[in-house]
Amino acid sequence: MSVQYGAISWNRQKKVYDVTVLSLLALYLGSFVGLGAWLHPSATAETLLIRALGTAAFLLLHVVLCIGPLSRLDRRFLPLLYNRRHLGVTTFLLGLAHGGFALFQFHALGNVNPLVSLFVSNPRYGSVADFPFQALGFFALIILFLMAATSHDFWLRNLSAPMWKRLHMLVYVAYALLVAHVTLGALQSETSPVLASALILGVATVLSLHLAAAFREKRIDQARRQAVDEGFVEVCKVDRIAEKCATIVSLSGERVAVFRYDGRVSAISNACQHQNGPLGEGRIIDGCVTCPWHGYQYQPESGAAPPPFKEKVPTFQVKVVEGAVFVHPRPNPLGTHVQPAEIESSQGRRREAQSR
Amino acid sequence: MFETLVKTFVYALETYAGLGLIFAVPFVWFGIQRVDSEAQGSAIGFRMLILPGVAAFWPMFLHRWTRRIVEPPVEKNPHRISAKP
Ligand code: FES
Repeated sequence: MSVQYGAISWNRQKKVYDVTVLSLLALYLGSFVGLGAWLHPSATAETLLIRALGTAAFLLLHVVLCIGPLSRLDRRFLPLLYNRRHLGVTTFLLGLAHGGFALFQFHALGNVNPLVSLFVSNPRYGSVADFPFQALGFFALIILFLMAATSHDFWLRNLSAPMWKRLHMLVYVAYALLVAHVTLGALQSETSPVLASALILGVATVLSLHLAAAFREKRIDQARRQAVDEGFVEVCKVDRIAEKCATIVSLSGERVAVFRYDGRVSAISNACQHQNGPLGEGRIIDGCVTCPWHGYQYQPESGAAPPPFKEKVPTFQVKVVEGAVFVHPRPNPLGTHVQPAEIESSQGRRREAQSR
Repeated sequence: MFETLVKTFVYALETYAGLGLIFAVPFVWFGIQRVDSEAQGSAIGFRMLILPGVAAFWPMFLHRWTRRIVEPPVEKNPHRISAKP
C-alpha cells in the first residue's frame, strides 16, 4: 500500500473554518487600525499595524491554547480542534509580520546587524520599566516558527511522535515569553487599564481551563483505575452502541450482550435460554431484550423474563466511566437484578435527546 | 563582552539558517524521497511547505541522506517493544 503526502488536505469543513478565521482576522486588523487612528491621531500607520498584528497573534495564541482543554471538557468544542494547526500557523505568520515590521522600524535603519541591534540597543536587562522586551518576543517567535514549520504530518513521521509532541509542548514556553513580552513592553507605556485587564483575563482563562481539564482527567483516571482494580474490563465506548441495541463482547469465555437504552447500560449473557439465540443481535422492545430468533423476552436489569414467564439468563455488573463501558467478567446468578449504569456524559445526554 | 556574545549568537544563528536554506532547496527536490518513501512523487506544494522545517532541522536530514537511511525511524513505545518476537 502506498501513501503519498499532499500539501494540505482540504475539505469543506476546513475551508469554512479557514475562511471564517481569515475574515475575523481581517475585521480585527481593520478595526484596530481604524479605531487606533481615530483615538490616537498622532500614532503612525506603522505603529498601529505593528500593534494590530501583535495583539492579533497574541489573541489567536490564547484561542489555540484554550481549544485543547475546552474540547477535553466538552466534546462540542472538538470541531475546533480538527483544524487547530491552521490557527497555529496563522498565529506564527501574524507574529512574524509583527516582529518583521518592528525589526525593520526600530533596528534596520542603522548600520548594525538588525538582530544584533535588537539585543544590544537597549542593554537595561536589569530594569523592569525599560527591559528590552523585544528579545523575549524574538525567542517566542523562534518557537512558533519551529511549531508552524513542523505542523505537517510529514514531521510527525520524521521527528517521531514523542519528539514532535515535546517540540510542540514548547508552546507554553512561547506563551510565557509573550506574556512577559507584553507585560514588560506594551504595558509599561500604557496608561489605560484596558490592556492590563485583558492580559490578566487572558492568562486567567488559559490557566483555569488547563487546571479544570487536568482536574477532570485526574478524576476520570481515578475512576477508570478503580474500575480496573475491581476487576472490570473496558469493552467499548457508549456511543458505539445504538439506542435500544447491544454490542456483543467476549468475556469469561462466553459472549455478553451489552445493551444501551433510555440513558442506561445493562449487560446480560448473550445466549437465549430457549435455543441459545444471540440476544445481543436483538433489540429492546417494550422495555425487554427481545431474542431475534423466536422473540423470547428478558428484562435487561435482571435477565429475567417478564412474569408469568420463568426464563432467566445471567447478568453482569456494568459501569460507565466518561463514555466508556466497563463490564465485570464474573456472571451473576441467573436473574440477579443489577443496577443499570447511567450514561453520565454530556454527549450521551445529547444523543439521548436526539434519539427521542 | 555582552555584545560579543550576542554577535556570536546572531552570526551562528544566521549561518545555521543560511546553511539550512542552501541544503533545503536541493534536498526537498532530490533528497526527500530517499529518506521517506511516502514523499515519492509528491507535488511542489508539499515540498514548499516542508522547506522551512527542513532548513531548521537540516543536520538530521543530512545525516539520514548521507547514511542512506531510507525510512524515518519507527517509534518505540511499550506495546511495540513488548510485541517483539
Ligand atoms: S432462541 Fe431465543 S427465542 Fe428462541
